[in-house]
Amino acid sequence: MERDIGKPIFDLLLLIASAAAFAGAMALPDIEIVGDLSPAFFPKLISAMIFLFAIPCLVKDVREWRGAAPSGGSRPANRRGVMQWLWIVGLTVVYILLFEPLGYIPSTAVFAFCCVIGLLFASGAWRELNASQRVKSLVGAVIFAIVLAVAIYYVFTDLFEIPLPE
Amino acid sequence: MKKLLSTLTLAAAMVVGGSALADDYPTKSIDMIVPFSAGGGNDTFVRALQPLLEKQLGEDLVIRNIPGGGGAVGMSRAVASKADGYTLLAASNAMLTLEAMGNVPFKHTDFDFIAKVIEEPYVIAVGGDSQYANLEDLVNAATSGTTIKVGVSGVGSSAHIAAVAMANRTGAEFNIIPYPGGSEAISAAMGGHVDAVVLGGAELRSALQSGRLKALAMSYAERSDSLPDVPTFQEQGYDLTLTVWRGIAAPKGLPADVEKRWVEAIKQIVADGSYEETAGNLGTQVSPLYGDELDAFIDQSAEVMREAAGDLAK
Amino acid sequence: MISGYLDGLGMVLQVGTLLAIAGGTLLGIIMGALPGLTSAMAIALLLPVTFGMPPVMGIGMLLGALCGAGASGSIPAILLNIPGTPSSVATTFDGFPMAQKGEAGRALGLAIVASFFGGVASMVILSLLAPPIAEFALRFGAAEYFSLSIFGLVIIASVAGKSLLKGLIAGLIGFFASTIGTDPITGVGRFTFDQLSLLTGINLLPALIGLFAVSQVLKDAFEYDPHQRLEESTHRIDIARPRFLETLRHWKAVVAGILSGSIVGPIPGAGGSIASLVAYDQTRRFSKSPEKFGTGHAPGIVSVESANNALLGGALIPTLALGIPGEAATAVLLGGLMIQGITPGPLLFDDQSGTVYGIFLAYLVANVFMLLIMCLGIKLFIRVLMVPRKQLLSAILVFCFIGVYGVDGDVFNLYLMLGFGVLGYFLNRYDFGTAPVILGLILGPIAESNLRRGLQAFQGDWTPFFTRPISLTFLVIAVGLLALTLWQNYRGNRRTESNASS
Repeated sequence: MERDIGKPIFDLLLLIASAAAFAGAMALPDIEIVGDLSPAFFPKLISAMIFLFAIPCLVKDVREWRGAAPSGGSRPANRRGVMQWLWIVGLTVVYILLFEPLGYIPSTAVFAFCCVIGLLFASGAWRELNASQRVKSLVGAVIFAIVLAVAIYYVFTDLFEIPLPE
Repeated sequence: MKKLLSTLTLAAAMVVGGSALADDYPTKSIDMIVPFSAGGGNDTFVRALQPLLEKQLGEDLVIRNIPGGGGAVGMSRAVASKADGYTLLAASNAMLTLEAMGNVPFKHTDFDFIAKVIEEPYVIAVGGDSQYANLEDLVNAATSGTTIKVGVSGVGSSAHIAAVAMANRTGAEFNIIPYPGGSEAISAAMGGHVDAVVLGGAELRSALQSGRLKALAMSYAERSDSLPDVPTFQEQGYDLTLTVWRGIAAPKGLPADVEKRWVEAIKQIVADGSYEETAGNLGTQVSPLYGDELDAFIDQSAEVMREAAGDLAK
Repeated sequence: MISGYLDGLGMVLQVGTLLAIAGGTLLGIIMGALPGLTSAMAIALLLPVTFGMPPVMGIGMLLGALCGAGASGSIPAILLNIPGTPSSVATTFDGFPMAQKGEAGRALGLAIVASFFGGVASMVILSLLAPPIAEFALRFGAAEYFSLSIFGLVIIASVAGKSLLKGLIAGLIGFFASTIGTDPITGVGRFTFDQLSLLTGINLLPALIGLFAVSQVLKDAFEYDPHQRLEESTHRIDIARPRFLETLRHWKAVVAGILSGSIVGPIPGAGGSIASLVAYDQTRRFSKSPEKFGTGHAPGIVSVESANNALLGGALIPTLALGIPGEAATAVLLGGLMIQGITPGPLLFDDQSGTVYGIFLAYLVANVFMLLIMCLGIKLFIRVLMVPRKQLLSAILVFCFIGVYGVDGDVFNLYLMLGFGVLGYFLNRYDFGTAPVILGLILGPIAESNLRRGLQAFQGDWTPFFTRPISLTFLVIAVGLLALTLWQNYRGNRRTESNASS
């Protein structure tokens, strides 16, 4: 069994989030309509249930975490995974930020290019390539990004009439 | 492809001479914001007009459904866009309702109204085999202690406000039950889960035609051709006149010649008569209004909605 | 009736009409296969095109789009673990594991044939039984909807991963998310933080795309290994063909799918999104080998996909027989019918002209075209898996953006999608699962608003929820299934414990 500290941490976050949600639900206005439950009833009930159910999960996951042996060998692969994961999440945020200001075609081309090249860097594969391979990857990524952005744009806006930011 | 070509032509035109752009409006496709999801009354109204308008204007009309916030998201988007005639809004009562409820950062005065195209009444209807044969029966029952459950579409919707206004003007006390949409309210009335529904005439059309629901009254000032047998509130002695209208609006500051171009296009479509049948099939009627008359109409409708929304708050 | 069908046949068997249906079906298939684009969008897009056409031709085109999109949602679900609509969520449960075993072609072949069977059967049911089924659907009031949603929530037990408790928490997270927005009964804003986009609550589409597509992309990004070469890919193209016999061998799953699609599908506003999950749940519960489900088991795919196209016929029942559309796609379709001057309602079925029979036959023809186009395309679809990982990841994200932004042009929903993506990634990683979240998000509002609407209508009286026969039936079944699940869970735990100790 792999030792993963994330599991109990996630349970703990759930616990905190549900407590916050319950507090938020307490602040909802109480409106009386004959026979009706208040609008705060369900949010309170659900957040309380999440809180209660998260406790045994936390207990069980902490116990498992302490029982499991510290993981050894898979560290580098793990770090590489985290880098790749963070790269994609960060890039997606930037993509959203640029989507309307830049317009669909430029933002998508930039995103697709960075996505492909970024994964090469984050995974460490870039270092293993020789010069001509690097040029080839760069050119390939540029072509891919432009084709993806432009072709999709015209298919979707003209054929499917789905409006995309210009 | 059409779009690509027109973009190129536009670019060429800009190079040749940047002036006189408005004269040959439109030179590229026009976005029409529908602040509701596909399939609603607003959406169907515009989609039925789309091919006719494209023929008149000679450019593509791209329909953008921007639902959310009971229309608030799409309308805010329309207000915020450039008043160059390339972003327009499929407007309806919902704008005035939102304004009256006071939850949105815009007013109807933030828009230039180009045209009102169609209209439908609010109708109060009961199940086909209901014990209430007419409005008087229903009002009598409600005032004599029977709880009358009335389904409407959406809390705070214009139908909701209309139902509250009906209750107040007739003196009846309704237990108003909001449903997520018109079709849920209609099926509740058909299944006898509520005693009555208040909805726009178009949504009720097929239910009324098939006899599954029976209309007791409608909110026009006079009887209409689309529902000739349904009496108005006015003729039954209640002072209530409300209409659901749909039309085209633009963000404030629309160039006069663009507005003129649109008014001409819609006038031509109305004159051709082909839209009339479609509108009739949809349960609405063509009742065009432009210019100052339209502005006066909108102001007056906003006033009525504000009053009715005040009733809701009580 | 026979003469009606003959008249109808005359209207359908014309070159123009057949071409229109084929075109509609093709567009539906393309849009259904792209995550985020829906059949409602396909139909709305075609609507203006149909105005000039005769009724059967125009409506046939729209039905083609409906049918095509209903079937092709299985393609991304199987190949990439990305359901484009709530109704193909359950396709991922067994479709994706089967594809991971290198049998994507087999999974697609099963899905296509099951969709076809489901669609054809539902057309037969639609044409014979629409009026009585519509009457049944009308008997659903607030109490019945509430009990139906409780029955649906029990499905969480079936789709929860390793831990029932964690699956339950995931379901509750979805339920909680569904309370965000304007309260459906009183109109009070709940957790809207003055955000216009949240006034109508959390949209299902960004949540769905986030929880499944984005979370899957993040997982692939985490596991991306540049040294893994495509040549090692185990996908076999030669097995990609329609699987009639194999599908027929799982006839019980087909029947379960058709029944669930035809019975749950017609209930307006509730049926569409859960009919396929109900089919999956029932097939699994009454299977002799429930433990094989979720590992790439054929009946899992077959039941879901037959339900998926059967529910389209189901959803057409209230639309045609009552004029009540159940969800967005049939709402747009209803607009199309009315513009054509066809008034839905019981009278439509008594109508002597061949139009209504023409519509039934057009739907049948649409299913045939769907089968043909999908069979021709199946080897093409598989090639998606030959695209190198890093290119595929970025392309999927771009499609997600288009799908989410294309619905309402709201950038806020893109953030929402990413947020759900990150949440979904951790939910999957720590054994909570994402399918229960979607169930909670779909069923939560039905449960809450109908309980409160019912209490308002019954003046605070709780008893009708237990005394109305349909409502009571659903509640009893729900409690029974829950007890069964807990019992099976308990026995399963005992067995693993005794295995561990021995």
